[in-house]
Amino acid sequence: MATERTLSIIKPGFTDKETVIEIDAILKDAGLRIVAEKNIKMTRDEATEFYEGINTKPFFQDVIEYMTSANIIVRVLEGENAIDHYRTLMGATDPGEAAEGTIRKLLGRNKQENAVHGSDSPENAKREITLLFDERALVYTSTLTSRPIPGFTS
Amino acid sequence: MPTERTLSIIKPDATRRNLTGKINAMLEAAGLRIVAQKRLRLTRAQAEGFYAVHKERPFFNDLCTFMTSGPVVVQVLEGENAVARNREVMGATNPANAAEGTIRKAFAESIEANSVHGSDSAENAATEIAYFFSSCEIVG
Repeated sequence: MATERTLSIIKPGFTDKETVIEIDAILKDAGLRIVAEKNIKMTRDEATEFYEGINTKPFFQDVIEYMTSANIIVRVLEGENAIDHYRTLMGATDPGEAAEGTIRKLLGRNKQENAVHGSDSPENAKREITLLFDERALVYTSTLTSRPIPGFTS
Repeated sequence: MPTERTLSIIKPDATRRNLTGKINAMLEAAGLRIVAQKRLRLTRAQAEGFYAVHKERPFFNDLCTFMTSGPVVVQVLEGENAVARNREVMGATNPANAAEGTIRKAFAESIEANSVHGSDSAENAATEIAYFFSSCEIVG
């Protein structure tokens, strides 16, 4: 399996600290690393471009309204097989159908307010990451072993 | 399977409730040997250094406050696949998701006060062990 990167979004209404900590616990146990992160409010133009793959669907305008309604946390996650792995951790789109222990089962309210987004393919991961992040931003926690070791006396 | 070492910490919520022995018993029952162990009160700087990898995370300050709120017991565990074995016996970070029979299912109070820490990879285990122990303190 290859190390991959995927784009994750914590959706409007789920960016409070307690909820983020619950999501982080699941990522941590799964061994996915957060290599870039920002808290933004998407513009209509950004959301329209981001969701261009579903722009003929009847629910497209609702998605744009919702995703631009409040701040979101966008992240690049890195790890073995990250795209599929994160999709498994998220669970089914409809929280009612999501498996036990998944993020959407734990936190989702309905098919739209289902807490998180994750890229669905390597092509879309690349497109979504490029759309939302500058390549130079994708670094800060990827060097997990380079932690500073201050003087320690037992 | 290779013999490995991993760093374990019994956190302040567990030392406060006098659970050190019960947790050690679960670790030993899982086939892990405690080859080094000491009880410490972490300073803020020590906690921040240990968790430096999490410094951008929203829980970083609360985590460091919690980890310095009482004594901890830091340990080196040794055994076959010790890193993964310890993570299995600890259970999920969120006790709500932890499996039956795990330390966190039995004892954890919350995501933060979840009784134990364990290294997440062999690489980090080496760094974390070196953070707390010198080689002459580890007796395999």
